[in-house]
Amino acid sequence: MTTAVDIRGVTKIYSPDSNQAVKALDNVSLTINDNEFFTLLGPSGCGKTTLLRLIAGFEQVSGGEIMLFDEEIENLEPNRRPVNTVFQHYALFPHMTVANNVAFGLERLKKPKPEIKATVERVLTLVKMKELGDRRPNQLSGGQQQRVALARALAPSPKVLLLDEPLSALDLKLRQAMREELKQLQRETGITFVFVTHDQEEALAMSDRIAVMSNGEIQQIGKPTDIYEHPVNRFVADFIGDTNFLDGEIVDLNDDLLTCRIGAQSLFETENSGHHKVGDQVTLFLRPEKIMLSVLDQENDSGNRPGKVKNLVYLGNQAAYTVDMGDGIELTAQARPREDGELPFAIGDPIAVSFSARALKVLAQ
Amino acid sequence: MSDWLPKSAAGRRWLGLAPSYFVIGIFMLIPMVIMGVFSFLEPNPYGGVKPIGSLAAYIKIAFEYDLEDKLVFNPGYLNIIFRSFQLSFGATLLCLIFGFPVAYYITLQPENRRNFYIYLVTIPFWTNLLIRTFAWIIILGRGGVIEAPLLATGIIDDSLRMMYSDGAIAIGLTYSYLPLMVLPIYASLEKLDFRLLDAASDLYANRFEIMTKVVIPLSKPGIIAGCILVFIPCLGAFIAPNLLGGGKKLMLGSLVQFQFASARNWPFGGALSMLLLSVVIITLIFYARAAKNRAAMEGSA
Amino acid sequence: MSDQIQKPSTRKGKKMLPVGHYRGLSSWTIAFFIFLYLPIIVLIVYSFNANRMVMNWGGFGIDWYLKAFNNSDIQKAVWNSLIVATVATVFATAIATIGALVLARGGNFRGKTVSLGLITLPLMVPEIVTAVAVLIFFSAIGMNLGLGNVIIAHITFCIPFAFMPIRARLEGMDTTLEQAGRDLYASQWETFRFVTMPLLMPGIVAGAMLAFVISMDDFIITLMVGGAGSTTLPVYIYSMIRRGLTPEINAVSTMLLLASIAIVTAYWILSRKTQTSTEH
Repeated sequence: MTTAVDIRGVTKIYSPDSNQAVKALDNVSLTINDNEFFTLLGPSGCGKTTLLRLIAGFEQVSGGEIMLFDEEIENLEPNRRPVNTVFQHYALFPHMTVANNVAFGLERLKKPKPEIKATVERVLTLVKMKELGDRRPNQLSGGQQQRVALARALAPSPKVLLLDEPLSALDLKLRQAMREELKQLQRETGITFVFVTHDQEEALAMSDRIAVMSNGEIQQIGKPTDIYEHPVNRFVADFIGDTNFLDGEIVDLNDDLLTCRIGAQSLFETENSGHHKVGDQVTLFLRPEKIMLSVLDQENDSGNRPGKVKNLVYLGNQAAYTVDMGDGIELTAQARPREDGELPFAIGDPIAVSFSARALKVLAQ
Repeated sequence: MSDWLPKSAAGRRWLGLAPSYFVIGIFMLIPMVIMGVFSFLEPNPYGGVKPIGSLAAYIKIAFEYDLEDKLVFNPGYLNIIFRSFQLSFGATLLCLIFGFPVAYYITLQPENRRNFYIYLVTIPFWTNLLIRTFAWIIILGRGGVIEAPLLATGIIDDSLRMMYSDGAIAIGLTYSYLPLMVLPIYASLEKLDFRLLDAASDLYANRFEIMTKVVIPLSKPGIIAGCILVFIPCLGAFIAPNLLGGGKKLMLGSLVQFQFASARNWPFGGALSMLLLSVVIITLIFYARAAKNRAAMEGSA
Repeated sequence: MSDQIQKPSTRKGKKMLPVGHYRGLSSWTIAFFIFLYLPIIVLIVYSFNANRMVMNWGGFGIDWYLKAFNNSDIQKAVWNSLIVATVATVFATAIATIGALVLARGGNFRGKTVSLGLITLPLMVPEIVTAVAVLIFFSAIGMNLGLGNVIIAHITFCIPFAFMPIRARLEGMDTTLEQAGRDLYASQWETFRFVTMPLLMPGIVAGAMLAFVISMDDFIITLMVGGAGSTTLPVYIYSMIRRGLTPEINAVSTMLLLASIAIVTAYWILSRKTQTSTEH
């Protein structure tokens, strides 16, 4: 597998000489493979956009190297880097037509006129905007502007396409439609996409791999399923999806299972990964969708724990339940409405909660 | 293409600013310094100065030499200065009273109409002040637009003598600088979140209280800016006192001009200009302080 | 019960105004605009006065316009005004443009605030003080270029007027557009040439228009600095007023007034058109 972008120990400090110096990136290293849809995910201020701008060349690194297909680029001007950017608010030139916007990069690269014309037509067709080449950007809807921005960045056939939260300005329905289109476009063109977002759903839906960032550092890199199912720390588990966290102490272990005490005396069993010993303070996490809720049946309660519905939030296709397990423990779980549309449980109902030991995981501290 | 430009960012920066520094520095800043120096020299009776240091120009503001060559207090010039301040304050107040409701009214309009109103407010500002002030002679003058019908119908049988009075000057000044009051107030009212008015109303504030407790406090930056923008040119005004005051009711600005055009006392004219300039500087420092405090307050909030 | 609740809003038989609206505001505004435009209208109307005395209406006539057109002193003054305003506009706009580019795009640097203060200095100093200072300066260094002295003074005070719309335009411009240019293989110069400059152009035109109007209208500084041969139109009008009021003054003034209004209207239309095209 070829490496498209290799970030080696990159640090970025804003206004380093003043007393307001801000460390936006702290010794970040990662590799992005060729032909990969790679996402930088994190809350605002985590450094993801800074990293993208360093690759594009709008900012200078304070330390470290950036390699693009084995060529060192961190000291090149942005116009000498074979990467293109789709900007958050599109940054379409308002004084040019759509076609002239798309042709801009090709003209700067001194491509022959007929080739420019053909390429413009090809990429505009690719993003389904062929008919609107003579329009001005301010005559287009947000979604159309988005497509033009994509076409403009793809036209010079960049080695890597950088996308800076390109969907954030669109409304929900359009955003979901564009997700699929972007993913498809990446497969068709075979260009490496580096995609920046703070929307975890977007990241999970589109990416081949995700780097979760926080405070200028990379927290975890992995496939979407890895990130979701095996978060390496509390930050990642909390940032991606909904999670129940349970803080406790390991009281017993065997080859297969760890037993943790949560609260005063509640015991929970989880798989033993072999990294822990008795007496360790640990955090367990449990995704709400892994929890089964059922009607409490006192006689037949093998593996079920009793609880009481404390609160519920109706979401249409499902309902989120907060269940009081006693001993100071609360769990969030989900249940589907019944076929007649009514909810299966009401506030105050006694309830049975169950989940497998595999669903409950120990987080590395 | 740009090879001849300096390599460093700082070099380019200063090359770009050099023409501005050159022109404004040499033809504005240095002249003001020379003017300051001249105000401490002795006048040459035919205009210009003699290179002899003297405080005479500043002393002249409040004193004169009597027949026995003794310094005695003479309030003549001080009266003119005092009147200048009085008229400038008066005109500023009139501009505020007249202009604030208009700025507020414009803010209430839909956006495209707002732009048109602002255009209407700015038009007079960009047209020749001399001409517009001259028009007031036709309106206020003996047998002019106001008097003519009154005389004709016999309501009055003699001129009202509106011209060549402090009142005429005040009207002229108010008229001259009214747009400079409306524009900054409008600029700050435009940023006002009108939901705050709904909130105040919801919390039992009546219309008067909404205005005094919400709208006016929040438009204070614009009000202060407007008052300064009106007050400073009023103080240095030359056209209104000259045309509408008939050259007899002098103000600071016309007094300065008089020293150069007729009296040929350059140091005294320089001293009066320095006085004018120091008022401007003090006002601007006060304004900068207020703006800084406000920024600090908003920053911490 | 429900009647009682509804009652307050229809009390006194008047309709309730929306929150934030006040009675009399629109009448006040009408009065304001009458006050603002009355002199201009009076001036224009009286320029068609056939009588020799301004104040006494003697019927409609355009004689004074013809007289003004044929007055060689007025022709000379108009010519002077146009020369001064054109030259001053060209220089002031060029100087202001590069100054604005540095101040809006040069990042933060030591001396930025001072530079901004210097460029806007002519706006803050009372005109009469500027006039006096420049007069003293020219006489102290013995510079006497006739109209040249006036032109130099005009360039100086026109710089901030040209500067403000240009800088406003630059600051309102989305800097990611320039980044997009760089990203799409444009060098710094090409980015300036193909992205910044075309987008800045309306600002430059607006700045030039304002500088031109301000220079055409200036009176005090020209009066003090200009010598005998460098009479501009406003200075000539002033001398006419001092000699005695005739409708000829109105005729000349009306023409100058309408020229200014035409330019400012063009500026207004231009700025409105470009405002909508840069919104994103």
